[in-house]
Amino acid sequence: MTALFLDIVTTSAILFIVAAGLMIILGVMKLINFAHGAFLTVGGYSAYIVTDYGFSPWLTVPFAAFVGFVLGIAVERLVVRPLYSRPLDAILATWGLGIVITQIIVFAFGRGVQFAESPMSGTLEIFAVGYSAWRLTLVLVAVLLGVGLTALLYLTRFGLNARAVIMNEDLARGLGIDSVKVRVSTFGLGAALACGAGALITPLLSIDPNMGLPWLVNSFMLVLVSGVAIPGLALASLLLGGAQVVVSTFVSPILGGVTIVVFAAILLRIRPKGLFGG
Amino acid sequence: MRNLTLASGLALTLAFTTSGAAQEEPIKIGIPVGLSGANSVVAPSVVQSSELAAQEINEAGGILGRQVELVVADDGSGAQGAQRAFDSLVYQDEVDVLISMETSAARNAGLPIVNRSETPYIYTSFYEGRSCSPYMFVNAWVPEQQVTPVVDHFVNELDAQTFYLIGSDYEFGRGMLEFTRQYIEESGGEVLGEEYLPMDASDWTPILSDVRSKAPDAVITSTAGGAPNVTLTKQMRNSGIDVPYGNLAVDEGTAGNMGSDATGIYISQSYLTGIESEENAAFLSAMDEKFGSALETPNDLSVPQYEAIYLYKAAVEQAGTTDKAAVIEALPQVSYKGPRGDIQMNVQHHTPLTMYLGQVEEDGSVSVIQRFEDVDPGEQCPNL
Repeated sequence: MTALFLDIVTTSAILFIVAAGLMIILGVMKLINFAHGAFLTVGGYSAYIVTDYGFSPWLTVPFAAFVGFVLGIAVERLVVRPLYSRPLDAILATWGLGIVITQIIVFAFGRGVQFAESPMSGTLEIFAVGYSAWRLTLVLVAVLLGVGLTALLYLTRFGLNARAVIMNEDLARGLGIDSVKVRVSTFGLGAALACGAGALITPLLSIDPNMGLPWLVNSFMLVLVSGVAIPGLALASLLLGGAQVVVSTFVSPILGGVTIVVFAAILLRIRPKGLFGG
Repeated sequence: MRNLTLASGLALTLAFTTSGAAQEEPIKIGIPVGLSGANSVVAPSVVQSSELAAQEINEAGGILGRQVELVVADDGSGAQGAQRAFDSLVYQDEVDVLISMETSAARNAGLPIVNRSETPYIYTSFYEGRSCSPYMFVNAWVPEQQVTPVVDHFVNELDAQTFYLIGSDYEFGRGMLEFTRQYIEESGGEVLGEEYLPMDASDWTPILSDVRSKAPDAVITSTAGGAPNVTLTKQMRNSGIDVPYGNLAVDEGTAGNMGSDATGIYISQSYLTGIESEENAAFLSAMDEKFGSALETPNDLSVPQYEAIYLYKAAVEQAGTTDKAAVIEALPQVSYKGPRGDIQMNVQHHTPLTMYLGQVEEDGSVSVIQRFEDVDPGEQCPNL
């Protein structure tokens, strides 16, 4: 029973970490970033580069986040900004961008599996069972991330500007808020979160050109169900991640793989605007 | 006028070269292989070993005095691509033989074309067994040969009574574990659980929790190569499961790259680079010389491919012709001593093989624990 509880909590934490970057971008920019999966992959390869050059595995996450931030700003400037007035085209462009990034990775590193060193391995004793130390660490990371993002949105000038842009962009601009600057910072932040998440999950996964792809669909579903709010995303991760673990454990792991998508569709039928949507 | 001279000169050269080649047209070997898709990681090593075999044969005077030409076609690692690849190789390039390492899906899709054209086909990939055609020969292992060393070692040497089986949800994964379960039960062991995940899934947590709660004496896995294998191994090590672990799908190279997570894994192969024989030493140094830094580590898929080309050479030489029917009759009769030892495809179109049970050491190398001489493939195709 303890193991089931820990499985649910850690799976939810991982989902939260992975989906956060996607939600930040959708919230402020009204843009579904389909390159999110590719950003996760870039994070994984950043981790690989760091440990391959012999640096400490603890540096993988900050380095990946930095790479993501720079990548995000470049992508916003070159791909997304020219398409602000054409939201559907912008979504298509991010989809294409994801394919381009994946192919560049294939050219640079090949299709094979790469390995990065993990910051920690083995198990920790908790509630009288030994449990994967890294998964437990990710729970802590998820909590800090949730608190940090909330603080950023509600306690800082950037957060105030971002919320103003979310509520009414024209009015915000009229009041002198540079909405272009808000957008570019947001996209950079979202990409940094995505790449950081990619580095955070590599100790559990293999690093290959498609590593981010399976996470894209689940993240997308979670963000829709969340109603694009941080507490909503936490609740959605717990509900859907929990459902996935329960179905995998008691029914079949194969069905567990589609639980999030099916459950999300049902939830959206009942609450079309998501759990925390107005 | 000058143009005319040039043109006639060109025509002359052309006539000269074509008449030279017409005397001995090359023997064409068709190699449909997964250059893209799931097999794209291993395919380059297979192409390299084929190229070495062809070069060696050509330098030594060819087959019956004729040069060998390789025609490589991408099968996309799947059924659709394989149909196109087999079709163009057989009917457009008109190859004399097909020799290839492929996925089971690609092989099954190509077989009808092989049967219709009655082309000899040597399949060089290990697979789940029981695929039969009068025109197909297999020189790699089947579950009967690969699984038994692992289970025997676990039961007899490590006193394992209870097992847990984990796999990827596809034909090879399920086929291997189905045989494993059967063999464990015949050996008096008990299977506590058998679970699968889709090939693109990466979170094994619920299955690993189940393994922990059932506490088996040993775990045996058969996933798709590459990513699923790595994610499962990493997560299993991270979750503190440290019972004997037999991995039916890991190869030497991947095990070496995986670092400390791979330490202690048991693997069972018909080829390991560490095999001590003259043939293997000569093969490895020739590969090294030909490809240098671009060399893909030779493995249990690329070495059978190399040997299969020599087996075809032996069959053509015995038959005295490349006539398809005569070659097919000769194929099970000839043998070739390659890096894996003496290879003869004489048991219902399959091959008795010497198998090696290895264990991954801390430095990523594989030490041979036990050698199983001439393991029989069993009843694969009783009607052939």
